Amino acid sequence: MRSLLFTLSLLCFASQTSLSWKKEEFRSCDQTPFCKRARSRSPGACSLIATDVTIADGDLVAKLTPKDNDDQINPLVLSLSVYGDGIVRLRIDEDHSLNPPKKRFRVPDVVVPELEEKKIRLEKFATENDPPSSVVYVSDGYEAVVRHEPFEVYVRERSGDRRRVVSLNSHGLFDFEQLGKKGEGDDWEEKFRTHTDSRPFGSQSISFDVSFYESSFVYGIPEHATSFALKPTKGPGVEESAEPYRLFNLDVFEYEHESPFGLYGSIPFMVSHGGTGKSSGFFWLNAAEMQIDVLAEGWDAESGGGESRIDTLWMSEAGIVDTFFFAGPEPKDVVRQYASVTGTSAMPQLFATGYHQCRWNYKDEEDVAQVDSKFDEHDIPYDVLWLDIEHTDGKRYFTWDSALFPNPEEMQKKLDAKGRRMVTIVDPHIKRDDSYFLHKEATEMGYYVKDSSGKDFDGWCWPGSSSYIDMLSPEIREWWGGRFSYKNYVGSTPSLYIWNDMNEPSVFNGPEVTMPRDALHVGGVEHREVHNAYGYYFHMATSDGLVMRGEGKDRPFVLSRAIFPGTQRYGAIWTGDNTAEWEHLRVSIPMLLTLGLTGITFSGADIGGFFGNPEPELLVRWYQVGAYYPFFRGHAHHDTKRREPWLFGERNTELMRDAIHTRYTLLPYFYTLFREANVTGVPVLRPLWMEFPQDEATFSNDEAFMVGNGLLVQGVYTKGTTHASVYLPGKESWYDLRNGKTYVGGKTHKMDAPEESIPAFQRAGTIIPRKDRFRRSSFQMDNDPYTLVIALNSSQEADGELYIDDGKSFEFKRGAYIHRRFVFSNGVLTSKNVAPPEASLSSQCLIDRIILLGHSSGPNSALVEPLNQKAEIEMGPLRMGGLVASSGTNVLTIRKPGVRVDQDWTIKIL
Amino acid sequence: MRVLLSFLLLLFLVLASSAIRSSSSPVTDPFLGISPQDEKYYKSSSEIKCKDGSKRFTRAQLNDDFCDCADGTDEPGTSACPNGKFHCRNAGHSPLVLFSSRVNDGICDCCDGSDEYDGKVACSNTCWEAGKAARENLKKKIQTYNQGVVIRRKEIEQAKVGLDKDEAELKKLKIEQKILKGLVQQLKDRKEQIEKIEEKERLEKEKEEKERKEAEEAAQPGKGDGEEKTDGNEKVEGSTDGGEMPGVSQDDEILDENEHHDETGRYKDLDTDEESAAEAEPTSVLEEGTHNNPADQHVVETKEESPSSEDLIITAGSQHDGSTKKEESDEVKKVEEDIVSEKKEALSKEELGRLVASRWTGENSDKPSEADDSPKADEHENLEHTPTSPQEVEEDDGFVSDGDEETGDDGKYSDREPEDDTYEEEYRHDSTSSYKSDAEDDLDLSETTSSPTWLEKIQKTVKNILQAVNLFQTTPVDKSEADRVRKEYDESSSKLKKIQSRVSSLEKKLKQDFGPEKEFYSFHGRCFESKQGKYTYKVCAYKEATQEEGYSKTQLGGWEKFENSYQFMTYTNGDKCWNGPDRSLKIKLRCGLKNELMDVDEPSRCEYAAVLSTPARCLEDKLKELQEKLEKLMNQDQPQKHDEL
Repeated sequence: MRSLLFTLSLLCFASQTSLSWKKEEFRSCDQTPFCKRARSRSPGACSLIATDVTIADGDLVAKLTPKDNDDQINPLVLSLSVYGDGIVRLRIDEDHSLNPPKKRFRVPDVVVPELEEKKIRLEKFATENDPPSSVVYVSDGYEAVVRHEPFEVYVRERSGDRRRVVSLNSHGLFDFEQLGKKGEGDDWEEKFRTHTDSRPFGSQSISFDVSFYESSFVYGIPEHATSFALKPTKGPGVEESAEPYRLFNLDVFEYEHESPFGLYGSIPFMVSHGGTGKSSGFFWLNAAEMQIDVLAEGWDAESGGGESRIDTLWMSEAGIVDTFFFAGPEPKDVVRQYASVTGTSAMPQLFATGYHQCRWNYKDEEDVAQVDSKFDEHDIPYDVLWLDIEHTDGKRYFTWDSALFPNPEEMQKKLDAKGRRMVTIVDPHIKRDDSYFLHKEATEMGYYVKDSSGKDFDGWCWPGSSSYIDMLSPEIREWWGGRFSYKNYVGSTPSLYIWNDMNEPSVFNGPEVTMPRDALHVGGVEHREVHNAYGYYFHMATSDGLVMRGEGKDRPFVLSRAIFPGTQRYGAIWTGDNTAEWEHLRVSIPMLLTLGLTGITFSGADIGGFFGNPEPELLVRWYQVGAYYPFFRGHAHHDTKRREPWLFGERNTELMRDAIHTRYTLLPYFYTLFREANVTGVPVLRPLWMEFPQDEATFSNDEAFMVGNGLLVQGVYTKGTTHASVYLPGKESWYDLRNGKTYVGGKTHKMDAPEESIPAFQRAGTIIPRKDRFRRSSFQMDNDPYTLVIALNSSQEADGELYIDDGKSFEFKRGAYIHRRFVFSNGVLTSKNVAPPEASLSSQCLIDRIILLGHSSGPNSALVEPLNQKAEIEMGPLRMGGLVASSGTNVLTIRKPGVRVDQDWTIKIL
Repeated sequence: MRVLLSFLLLLFLVLASSAIRSSSSPVTDPFLGISPQDEKYYKSSSEIKCKDGSKRFTRAQLNDDFCDCADGTDEPGTSACPNGKFHCRNAGHSPLVLFSSRVNDGICDCCDGSDEYDGKVACSNTCWEAGKAARENLKKKIQTYNQGVVIRRKEIEQAKVGLDKDEAELKKLKIEQKILKGLVQQLKDRKEQIEKIEEKERLEKEKEEKERKEAEEAAQPGKGDGEEKTDGNEKVEGSTDGGEMPGVSQDDEILDENEHHDETGRYKDLDTDEESAAEAEPTSVLEEGTHNNPADQHVVETKEESPSSEDLIITAGSQHDGSTKKEESDEVKKVEEDIVSEKKEALSKEELGRLVASRWTGENSDKPSEADDSPKADEHENLEHTPTSPQEVEEDDGFVSDGDEETGDDGKYSDREPEDDTYEEEYRHDSTSSYKSDAEDDLDLSETTSSPTWLEKIQKTVKNILQAVNLFQTTPVDKSEADRVRKEYDESSSKLKKIQSRVSSLEKKLKQDFGPEKEFYSFHGRCFESKQGKYTYKVCAYKEATQEEGYSKTQLGGWEKFENSYQFMTYTNGDKCWNGPDRSLKIKLRCGLKNELMDVDEPSRCEYAAVLSTPARCLEDKLKELQEKLEKLMNQDQPQKHDEL
């Protein structure tokens, strides 16, 4: 019966999605000539050999030519660079000295300038003869090898068995189509549906295989709505019709929750992880359409043999080979290595880490005031109220609908008086209306992307006929940034921030709902070459504009939908137009884990699902999971019923309030984690295996996740569930966040998952800072005292960190911050300064409550030094406020130790 | 006694608190934030219990800015306990209970400023002014209620009269209906009799003709062709001028069809829109010659014309046209669907853009007629770019998403309690109006029907006719008498139909829910209108609610019922919304001196909300409640005045 029901619901679901997702409007691999060709190539087809190996300008360089170059094919140029910390960069391009028809596009502005400082200038290379190879030093642990015949590049360990880590072209699938000059009668056009791509330079695609050794799974390459551990797309056991993972930024209407189909963003970065606990990574800096196959074991007769290797096939329509090998070995090393190439995530303002309330659309100023006051009426904190496209005068961004929003400044000031901000939407499509100042200026200045004939590209989006700012040009980006000044953006105030939507770019009447590939950007760059980075540049320009607006004193907040490597430096992203279904709630976790792993830590999914109306239970569960999303925003389509948290009856209001309060209580912890991500690139939301690399049971778990190293959260993704199975990794215990109950690690526990909360645990050995007082917004929490929750491990030890700055400016970059490390050991809690000595920020904030979980004895008091005062130890509530059911437990509590958060002190348990 | 005691206690506490306020800073008050009713709880012993019973705390722990009780008992005056509540006394105004999250958060929440005492902000005491304003408001509200209650009483009385009248009329009509039914049946029988005889006559005549012709043919066989022709002519002539019989039978058919037609029309009227049925009623009155109104005259003329065969043909033709059109439009629709579902090969770039956009916006890019999709003014500018063909222009309309944005100056959401509403906006909406729907209140059939002469006259006429016609049992039928029967039959049966319709509409009316005291009786047949921006909203009680813009009209819903003990009126199953629910409207009712529709809004897509002020909601109980509240407030003033002295 149950299976029948399941089948039925599956059927319903299938028919529903097939109605919505217009699959036929998007190209499959078979309809994409370069993908089809690359996929049908057989292993060993590549006949290129590396010759003329030499060192030039600190790089190892070589020529790649066909072994029997009967066709007189131009050689390619290979260059290999090495950066500190285990990073190898491999570039392959056409030889510019041979005057190709055009310079192929190399994506600028993604690799951070600081990477150059890490470059290890190569001075020599070693030669091996069996097989003939050239070897260079990478780090104490690793070296890079270029095998000559056939050419192959890989990174291997230097010691022991010289184990391979990552390799390229080990299966001879490398192919590089050189640019052509269109001659008479050449028919290079590609047609898809009603669209024709003129392809003036013919085929220019690149493809190759990449292998990850000692790997159980590969992860990464967002953005897809699919499992975290990437399933094979080709080979034994995989359906013939399976598509590769597509990386092509698209505005997909009602996307499916289980599909390799490309969504709004593209990050061609893959991470492997295996049973030895080791990880490695591979990144291809390329902005053209990409398709990636994960090949099932046995895809190639030579593969297999229990080597636990994962082979992948990478295909791109254009650009060059500009790839990075990351040696690891720990998962956190790989993300750090990647971050040192593309940058770490920007430090958000504190307000941005709170709760955001959005809807398409809050209709007018009264609506805004009404929603705002309802939050207060129900004592639900929130930090930001959002306005979607309807707030503008006819979708002309930087304007206001004067009937609905006659006094935007006053409106923002009213919110600001409660410490709340506003976000308005600004999209890259500009209404083609001669009386619209922005269109006029952009036209006159020639700032629009051009169509293949050189005229301003004219596409269709929200405002109707629209043109698109050419964000590839630094000059245009600078101009765009200037639009955000208070003078230019009439009606904006310092508490207004920005949302960049539709920046894939979405073009309603374009091929696959985007811009034609033969559209032209500055410098004759074809859109096909830069497509996946278009939204990134737009995000960058907007974010830089906000920095300019605040004269460099105010951290920008810009939410983007399109993503590309480097996006993390410019702001937050969300997973686009999801749907109010349980499966969409479930898939949000693998999606966010993937984004975090590939650098984009400040990410979230729309709470409740954008399309459709969530039943109250789903909405509540979504808030409970969403409270742990790094970016926490409720949003809804304008066809849906209102769904602000107080609209579903007293009980549901209470449940959602509690979920949001949980987030606010943990804001000090989140903010500290954002700082960690800002410094190291390690994401806020982490897969379990990032914290427990050896624990194989965690490798494909994408229903539970870690927040930092201290919290494990398991979402509830099914209707009517009151129990959950939770796997708790590691050898140490876990403490239930609601009641302090202890669970042993390394085991799957069946436990209650009552409607009040989803399972969440603090890991033994960690200290988590909280702020337990409830306020209207994060702004009012500034002076509130802290609570430390110490979860002791089996050796009665624990540690944790707390980072504090002013929450808004860039002063932290000049050392204006507090960074404490709390260590509990031998019955003594110590607060140590881990900020550099020049760091200076003071705070009057006290730590007024310290909770000890797992303490073996029942002490009565503690001695606080250097104050030389005694503090009482008594039983107190684990969580105050919130729902009674989750706060009833009493735990060991140090009462009012009276220590300041910015000072050194010790507290000795007596 | 107890009331008096607590009142005295209250007085004392208020006095005490104002004394504290004037003498010392509240920070030092260990009982800060405790409501007067609760002071005893805190003062009774030195060890205090958390109200949830979880633990005990000492007097020193009370308001020591550290939360001991999960329920917040120990921190009524600080923000330390998230579940805590802070009580501000607000002397001069009403006391207020705040969430503890508001204490020392830098925002002045209490008018006496007692929630902000950490010195970070200085809150001035605004209680006196605020209290005064609140009292004034309350007084005004009471005034409205006072007057409203009177109006309401009057309406209830009138409702009783009206209902009695309706019932009386219904009773009378039913009797008349019965009598008339009998007469009509008699006339019908007679008419059929006549027609039978006429038919017989006709057949005989034909037979004679035939025989005569055959005889003539036999006499002159050589001129067959010409003869035939003449014969044909004669035949034509016969059927046009002298051919009573076929004419009559044809007429009969026409009548039948007409009747049928009428019935459908009436059925529809009853179901959806009683207007036309109602309109028809006065006509019957007119036919009796009691009124003479040019508009009605026109109706009469039309009526008289309608049974002609020419008209029938035209009607049939146009009906045919109509159906063809429908088929055509169906076809168009299908083609459009094909276009949509297939490859959109035929779409222009622009159409494609609109089509894709429409997925998100929910607007139908192909069918612009959806009223809610009407564009904002600025969207019309798209027309500049959008060339030319009317279809495209319409598409443009259809594409735009802003139709649902009311520019209404205030959105009222249904989760607001009606009681909390202030009523003082009565004079605000000059664009509002209320009027009797032309539906049926004006349908004063009673006047005519009540005149005894009317029925008697008919009875007499019928009697006369029947007797007269009775005399002519044998052929040939006297033509003028036959016509008289037919005419009288037509008139009587049409009159009967009208009475039947009136009976059924009265019955329907009397079944409606007019409220516990019939206070909503006067709503029947009434419409309330409110103009907001480009839209005119029209709410007809017990009928339907619409949104009109120019000539386009969208049904927001049909009458459903009153809800929440007559605090709301609901309309449901309105026009379908693309990708959304069927439209619906929920109207909040509140006390006001006039029936006035206002604040129409669309808080969720296609779910409308509005407010209707009406004396029907000026309840006496509520008035009493308000008066008590005011009394309480005025009493509270006393100490404040003392204080000021």
